[in-house]
Amino acid sequence: MNNIRLLLVDDEDDFRRTIAKRLGKRGIAPEEAGNGEECLAILEKHPMDVVILDVKMPGMDGIETLHHIKEKYPKTEVIMLTGHATTRDGVDGIKKGAFDYLSKPIELEHLLGKIKQAHEKIRREEEKLREAEFRARMEQQLTTTERLASLGTLAAGVAHEINNPLAIIKESAGFMKLILGKEEFADMPRRKDFELALGKIEKGIDRAKRITLQLLGFARKDDSVLAEVNLIELADEAIQLVDREAVNREIEIIREMAHDKVTIWSDPYKLRQVLINLITNSIHATGSGGKITIILEGMGEEVTLTVKDTGQGIPKENLKRIFEPFFSTKSPGKGTGLGLFVTRNIIEKLGGTIKVESRIGQGSSFSVKLPKYCEIKESLAQDERVDFLDKIASHNGSKPQ
Amino acid sequence: MVKIPTKVLIVDDEKDFVEMLSLRLSEVGEKVAPAYSGQEGLETLEKTSIDVVILDIKMPGMDGIETLREIKKQYPLVEVILLTGHGSTETAVEGMKLGAFDYLMKPADFDDLSAKLEGARKRKDEQEERIRKAEASLLVRRSGGSF
Repeated sequence: MNNIRLLLVDDEDDFRRTIAKRLGKRGIAPEEAGNGEECLAILEKHPMDVVILDVKMPGMDGIETLHHIKEKYPKTEVIMLTGHATTRDGVDGIKKGAFDYLSKPIELEHLLGKIKQAHEKIRREEEKLREAEFRARMEQQLTTTERLASLGTLAAGVAHEINNPLAIIKESAGFMKLILGKEEFADMPRRKDFELALGKIEKGIDRAKRITLQLLGFARKDDSVLAEVNLIELADEAIQLVDREAVNREIEIIREMAHDKVTIWSDPYKLRQVLINLITNSIHATGSGGKITIILEGMGEEVTLTVKDTGQGIPKENLKRIFEPFFSTKSPGKGTGLGLFVTRNIIEKLGGTIKVESRIGQGSSFSVKLPKYCEIKESLAQDERVDFLDKIASHNGSKPQ
Repeated sequence: MVKIPTKVLIVDDEKDFVEMLSLRLSEVGEKVAPAYSGQEGLETLEKTSIDVVILDIKMPGMDGIETLREIKKQYPLVEVILLTGHGSTETAVEGMKLGAFDYLMKPADFDDLSAKLEGARKRKDEQEERIRKAEASLLVRRSGGSF
């Protein structure tokens, strides 16, 4: 509530000052305006969240001022103040877009309640708008992802169709070269010319081969997908996938979820991978009879997923190194030393962070902090492959020259 | 030194490729059998003794991976080199996990192929040698060490 930008408009100076002072004591000191014109002048320079607006004012009255406010600043919410027994004005105001009205004399608690509601409404609207924008962007990204996937299939097909005949040409040229090198051909007329031509064929094959390889490399990249992810479902899914191993080792996996539905926008497959990696690590570090707790907290801009175990813990000297590639304390052949390295890379790509706390003999806890709206760092819009696709698409329509 | 030919089976649905690679390998002294499908390859293995199979991954019908599984099941000592046409290293890696000796991208370099053939042949020889020794010691133990 403290960061509400509030403007109080009333022509009765005493009344206005009193209310402003009392609001100030509650931590939301408003700007003040003595009439409609002044109110609009202030709004021009300082955008406001909520305007408390007296209906009856000389000059531009409340209803007219409201009209201007709603036209120019549709996001600003207005609470009308009407005189006693003139609720009609208030109803008019609501019809013209005011959030609500209060009749004078007003009770401060009542006013505070209304301000709070108006502010809540603004916050909800903003959230809705943001989600709609994100959805629109996602849809566009999805189309691009689909186009890229089809490019991958096409490239693989083309490469295959070209590589096979190339292999035939290569074997044939190689075979001829082999024959030419035989003793019986030592005196063959114009042997040098044949060798020259065969050399050119081989060079050509290598060039074509490089191109098909490039085409393949260009078409396949590790693309991220963004979707609405229900973290609770995701956690359940991950647990299910590793449950057998946990049961075998008599380890109990517990969920501690603060809410019944937590959704974020992120990459579900990569996140599942992260969870599986962390839980599997915990299982390996925890002896029979141990416990693994998966905790989900936070609802605002960030959520935190924690995987906590009652395992052996990580020695201090290793804590700094566990995210390094190829660092492993498992016996050779058992661990690659890449699990946590990959995990951290994924999380960072999704705009999050990972933290570890551990105590020898008591267990470890890995906390993953993720943004509610993930902005994938490499934007598909800047992807060189999109240009390529667009070029192909535009060529479809042009006529050969 | 007289070269002992490696008995090679080439399995690929690209007939021209099989034909030319056969000619080339025969020319450098290997003993080559051709097959144009996974099924045909398995039939050849049944009739002929083979050291190394050069196996294309992408074939209609029974594909390379399926054929590889079958080969490794029936003839675990036979070595397999996979050929991939569309750069799907994933499939090649899967193949190596199933017991393939190595893989090559088409069009393959002949020197690479020769080196891998030799490596595969060597691995098979060594494995057979170990089996022979193990069998011999088994025999010694059974007969109480007295011949």
